[in-house]
Amino acid sequence: MRGFFRGVLRAQRLWVQGGGPGWGAGYCHWRPIHSCSALVYRRHGPDLDQLRMEQWDFQAIGPHSVRLQMLAAPVNPADINMMQGTYPILPEFPAVGGNEGVGEVVEVGDEVTSVRVGDWVLPVDAGFGTWRTEVVCEATELLRAPRDVSLLGAATIAVNPFTAYRMLHDFQQLRPGDTVIQNGANSSVGQAVIQIAAALGLRTINIVRNRPNYEGLSADLKAMGADYVITEEELHRTGLGLILQEVPKPRLGLNCVGGLSGGLVLSHLDSGGTLVTYGGMAKKPLQIPAKSLIFKNISLKGFWMTQWKRNNRKDLHLLQSVVDALCAMLRSGQLTPPRCVLVPFQQYAQAIQATVQPHQPKQVLLMQ
Amino acid sequence: MKVANVSCFAFKFIRLHKRELCRARTVGQCSATTTQFQQDSLPVHPSPFNRCLGHKLHRRYSTESSVKDCRGLIYKKHGDPSQVLQLEPLELPHVGAKSVLVKMLAAPINPSDINMIQGTYAILPDLPAIGGNEGVGQVTEVGSQVTKLKVGDWVISRDAGLGTWRSAAVWKEEDLVTLPSDIPLLAAATLGVNPCTAIRMLSDFEALKPGDSVIQNAANSGVGQAVIQIAAARGLHTINVVRDRPNLQQLTDRLKAMGATHVIKEETLRRPEMKELFKMCPRPRLALNGVGGKSATELLRHLQNGGTMVTYGGMAKQPVTVPVSALIFKDVKIRGFWVTQWKRNYSQDEGAMRAMLDELCSLIRAGKLSAPACAEHSLQDFHKALDAAMQPYTSAKQVLVM
Repeated sequence: MRGFFRGVLRAQRLWVQGGGPGWGAGYCHWRPIHSCSALVYRRHGPDLDQLRMEQWDFQAIGPHSVRLQMLAAPVNPADINMMQGTYPILPEFPAVGGNEGVGEVVEVGDEVTSVRVGDWVLPVDAGFGTWRTEVVCEATELLRAPRDVSLLGAATIAVNPFTAYRMLHDFQQLRPGDTVIQNGANSSVGQAVIQIAAALGLRTINIVRNRPNYEGLSADLKAMGADYVITEEELHRTGLGLILQEVPKPRLGLNCVGGLSGGLVLSHLDSGGTLVTYGGMAKKPLQIPAKSLIFKNISLKGFWMTQWKRNNRKDLHLLQSVVDALCAMLRSGQLTPPRCVLVPFQQYAQAIQATVQPHQPKQVLLMQ
Repeated sequence: MKVANVSCFAFKFIRLHKRELCRARTVGQCSATTTQFQQDSLPVHPSPFNRCLGHKLHRRYSTESSVKDCRGLIYKKHGDPSQVLQLEPLELPHVGAKSVLVKMLAAPINPSDINMIQGTYAILPDLPAIGGNEGVGQVTEVGSQVTKLKVGDWVISRDAGLGTWRSAAVWKEEDLVTLPSDIPLLAAATLGVNPCTAIRMLSDFEALKPGDSVIQNAANSGVGQAVIQIAAARGLHTINVVRDRPNLQQLTDRLKAMGATHVIKEETLRRPEMKELFKMCPRPRLALNGVGGKSATELLRHLQNGGTMVTYGGMAKQPVTVPVSALIFKDVKIRGFWVTQWKRNYSQDEGAMRAMLDELCSLIRAGKLSAPACAEHSLQDFHKALDAAMQPYTSAKQVLVM
């Protein structure tokens, strides 16, 4: 009797889970079933204890799909927000956590030509569910990553460096020698901005929160290519005066904090400049003086990498070209992965908890 | 600062009549009549190529000119306009070759004029300065090298800072642009700032098609009313937010008569009624903010994804509060607009300014755009005008009529 029910339940899970984008409809089909370990959640909540490692079934590949083994997947703030239920796109339950990571193709469907067995691949869209050991998905959901970059580099290239790259290209026409100012400079995006900007010949003014080992942090960021590192408090107190004797006023400001910090970045922009907001870590709105908008012609825009990718979803060449450009920078050493803590997949709980603490390095889950 | 040139010289230069001499370079330019030649003892025009050596200039004034008693509202320091503005006689400079003499007809009092006098505006003239940045005047004399303006033309200034609260002025031709004189005087007097702001905001930020919606606060302001009318002429719905007040129904009726689709009070923005409203017209792609603070944040909430909020004023004197999620996930753009900057950016593009003014004047002639309700005052009564202008909830534009 129990076996009967288990069989029914199994069939039901087949119906619900599918190997597609992590959630939603699959098809009920009596085909060989594969099983993997996945970090699954069935409800939202602020505490994140709803995340559990489970056996997760998925069907065999079809002619256009691919089976891959996940190698490594970071824990990003958006992943946390999705679990908490505060993100604007939310998967259906049961959901597999994780939106970024690198996998290795182990099996391809008969009609798949875009990837081959052994290729490293990255998911194109959010909601993939990267915190699991194996995935079956459509080949069109994947971008390739070269195998001659570091595993950590590939695992952390497609979200944060991608965001940094697009923000540096899409909002202001910047020429070598131009200046960019950003807060949250020590975040993954912030570090990518420093490095990509340096590769583009741009100067960066990097705002970070004060902290006990500030001098060490400042030295690290400068070693990465940061031109100037300054604390929120110091910038508020002294302004940019001395710095602006050496570099032009910034036309591009990048904000992932919001609140007073975002306002501070905005106040130092040149007339006609743009403040691009890509995060809101302080969970406070921006307060924009009307004068900045009217008389200094500052524009405020937002950037959401997921939306950018969806807008360009049909142009896989474009998406692939950004990944290729970033991986070329990884190869040449112009871009290095953020300082990470590598966490074995089984110890996921500590990685999740560390992510919600301040001043922590990026946590990356290792599946293999 | 252009204001400085005029106002400083005003006190120093000779009066127009007595010692003005013809400086025509060729006979053709000299406007002297035979009678005057005979009266004059100076040799004149020995040959076509000689410069006229001078004779009393035949004045080409219109007979209605009263520029002899030129007066203006001057301030010598920044502060409360009712304290620092004084009505004083002005001496007009000589009308140079490239200048014109303008008799001012009417000049409104705008919030930015008040801010300039208070010293809080982004651009401030050198002091002493004459107040007022907008208004229409009539050309009564042109200098010898003036080509684009003629006597009788109605003119407005191309830039801020000219100092329009005066009965007459001598300005450079290049600082002025003509308006047709077959539009109502008050429409001409109030054309250059608010309707220009409105038409630019409706044109330059979002590609709007008939049937699209625009939402705005300060709907009863000079800009707000111009937005309502221009939007209506373009087939756009407007959702107009005003502050609650005792005679709200009257205000609503007036704005609807002008072409407003919906008129709602600030409080309604936060209420479920908005859902009903959006069954009748699409969610707006464009929001126009003249207020700031919570009012602006509420406009943002109703904006379509990918839409733009343009800020042109800050009457509440509070910053614009922008939730980060609106920028990231709704992809809204937050921009500002300053008509003075637009005019400066396009100062070399005669076509752009002309096209804008022509479109506005066509709307006026077609009865689709009219001046806001105006309360007229003489220059003498400027104190009354100022006091009224600085009251909250004013429902009329205060205009000085010379």
